[in-house]
Amino acid sequence: MTHTLHRTGDIESLNEDFPMLTHVARGYNDIGAGERLKEMAKIARKYTDLNFGDCKVANKFIMPSEEIMEKHTVGWQVVFKDKKSLIACMKELKEKNIGISVVVSGLFDEVFECCQKAGITPPLIEFALGIHGNKDKIWPPEILDFVTMCGHGLVSGHLVKKMVEDIKKKKITIKKAALELAKPCLCGAFNPHRAAKLLKKMVVR
Amino acid sequence: MRIDRDKCVGCGRCVSYCPVGAIQIFRDGQNPKKKKSRIEEDECVECGVCLRAQVCKPQAIYLPELDWPRVVRRAFSDPMVEHKETRVPGRGTEEMKTNEVTGRFKRGSWGMAVEVGRPGFGARLKDLEMIAMALAKISVVFEPRNPVTFLFEDVKTGKLKPELRNERVLSGIIEFEVKPEQLKPVLEVLKEMAGKVESVFSVDLITHPEEEEKGPALKIVGKMGFPVYPNGKVNLGLGRILNK
Repeated sequence: MTHTLHRTGDIESLNEDFPMLTHVARGYNDIGAGERLKEMAKIARKYTDLNFGDCKVANKFIMPSEEIMEKHTVGWQVVFKDKKSLIACMKELKEKNIGISVVVSGLFDEVFECCQKAGITPPLIEFALGIHGNKDKIWPPEILDFVTMCGHGLVSGHLVKKMVEDIKKKKITIKKAALELAKPCLCGAFNPHRAAKLLKKMVVR
Repeated sequence: MRIDRDKCVGCGRCVSYCPVGAIQIFRDGQNPKKKKSRIEEDECVECGVCLRAQVCKPQAIYLPELDWPRVVRRAFSDPMVEHKETRVPGRGTEEMKTNEVTGRFKRGSWGMAVEVGRPGFGARLKDLEMIAMALAKISVVFEPRNPVTFLFEDVKTGKLKPELRNERVLSGIIEFEVKPEQLKPVLEVLKEMAGKVESVFSVDLITHPEEEEKGPALKIVGKMGFPVYPNGKVNLGLGRILNK
């Protein structure tokens, strides 16, 4: 339900993190949706190449994007790091009026500003009301910022720690470590640009 | 997931990929000088991350055939598995993502979800049952299309099929709608449950944009001491009916 909700982080970091997803509505616009999703994916990928994926298929770090696009069934994900590209993409998607639902996640103030500039009036929003329960057992905030970039929980906190250790030992570069962390998140909602910045902070720390 | 003991060379490269820390290195009983990797079956949620990571050169990691009730672990942990009941991959429904097309959430009520096991921790389904049963007692009606709803023995009480209680998943989502007068009691129940579950849960609220900052839903949420993240999901309203 909520795979791009509940992303944790400070405002500065979240200001470079805007996942976008498309989803067909079963029984309403799913017939022949593959071609429509492909057309929309082509538009989105003009504006961002950070990530791209389909949780029933793969993300671009484990399968070529063109191959993923041939296999779309219910939707895809991309992620933006800046509002300028996001606004341009939103504008084009609105103009092309292809008819499949689009959801953008991120800081509400920023996303609403983007909507306004793109001439879009959002009909519905979803809030995250926090984490509850046995919170002592969850990852500390600096790890949680990575883990929550995959809403399905497929990015392991242990892998984050391993990547940090490997960077410190010069076994892997920050960029490659960020891409390694992006691989398990099949949907393509993980933001490797943000991950690289977070890794850099952790290595310095 | 399993690791073929004969093929495993004990390199340990798979260990860190497991989101729930279910892979361990141990000394081989037959040859104590050698190490092997082992998946703790009771902890494994069958998400498939270790296999898809393709870090096992001798290809010792494999997915065995899963029987009921263990197969439920995979359905609620591996997003590549489409639930046969909902035909939606992942763990939830289309919820607010397609609302401008389906009209599912209407003004006058709010959508809610309680995702048990999130973030990045996993949960036994008995935690989910405990929350569901407490919500059912205050007349919450569970979303019939959510895959969790198919796990209930009695959908009116939130009681799970008994064989599922100890199954471990990455997360399961209890999804429902609340009328304005139900929100406070629901949040009270969730506060109480926070002190009882072994795992963790994340809470979502779906509303129309006019709720932002000054709407009644967020006022209730604030009074009840629940945090509201500054970031969330926004449906752009670009979908429409296309099927003829």
